[in-house]
Amino acid sequence: MRLVPKILLQSLAILAVSAVLALGVNFIRPDGPAPVFAAPSVVQLSKNGGEIGLKDAAMLFITGRAVFLDARSQFEYQLGHVQGAISLPPREFASQYQDIKPRLAGKEAVITYCDGERCPLSHSLAKYLREAGVKNVYVLVNGWSLWLAEKLPIAKGAAAPMSSAAPAASGTSAAPGKSAGRGGICRDCENK
Amino acid sequence: MPRLREQVAALAPWDAVEWTLRLALAGLFLYASADKIIHPKDFAVIVKAYHILPDPLANLAALWLPWLEVVIGACLFTGLLRDGALTLATGLLAVFWLALIVNYFRGIDVSCGCFTTSAEEKAPMLWYIGRDALLLALALLAVEARRRAGEAAQS
Repeated sequence: MRLVPKILLQSLAILAVSAVLALGVNFIRPDGPAPVFAAPSVVQLSKNGGEIGLKDAAMLFITGRAVFLDARSQFEYQLGHVQGAISLPPREFASQYQDIKPRLAGKEAVITYCDGERCPLSHSLAKYLREAGVKNVYVLVNGWSLWLAEKLPIAKGAAAPMSSAAPAASGTSAAPGKSAGRGGICRDCENK
Repeated sequence: MPRLREQVAALAPWDAVEWTLRLALAGLFLYASADKIIHPKDFAVIVKAYHILPDPLANLAALWLPWLEVVIGACLFTGLLRDGALTLATGLLAVFWLALIVNYFRGIDVSCGCFTTSAEEKAPMLWYIGRDALLLALALLAVEARRRAGEAAQS
């Protein structure tokens, strides 16, 4: 056999054998790293949903990985909401969910919020969503007040029909901290 | 070890040079692979620090390189697939050497990761570059000795 093809064939054989050994051993060993490196996200979400902190929610908002659902009334939503959020009061869940459902697909998190430490609307909405089969639902407790306090992006006005979530805003954007209700009380609690 | 002495004495001069260098390289590669195989995650961190491969490929390289060194070392030791192993050994040493030089000029001070994944092994980049240059020279000499040994056998 001529030298160059021989060297090429032998080299390929060595490369192949070593690749099989490397992946095989790594597959067997319990402490082996993933073959393809993926930088871990600073946002560590529970797989079963639950509550989410403002920092994590803001991070997901900035990177467009979450859809925000405003559980307050349409009136309060129009006064001001998280930029790009979709209005979905729990009482309208049954009638509106099918329209909104496609917007939830492919997002890392579905974040519900209302206003006030004890506001049950976001929890109710999260419950309905889980019952409908959405697993990655997280409640941002007292979300609207916290969002305003940190001067995060907000928008005003009625939602355009099925407008996009996250930074692509629905409604008219507004200066942060200038809208709607604030404070630690429940402002629109249908279940009170 | 009279048998070993007889074996070496029976070799033609270039054969003896190639045989010696090949065994030295085999030992070097086998030794170099051990710590990286034991601590693949630490080695992956070192590979990432070179900033030569895209991040998603760093783990794959960190997993593969030590085993490539093992197979090359085993081939050099046994003489199986000898030409391919010698070529790959030389190529690998050249790649490592160039990676160190590139990072030296980029101002990135990397831990070599050549023989250990320990964070405590920290020497000046020029030391690593010099050492790798010497190893590369040995590998090139082994290739040349192999070529001359082949020519001598044909003539």
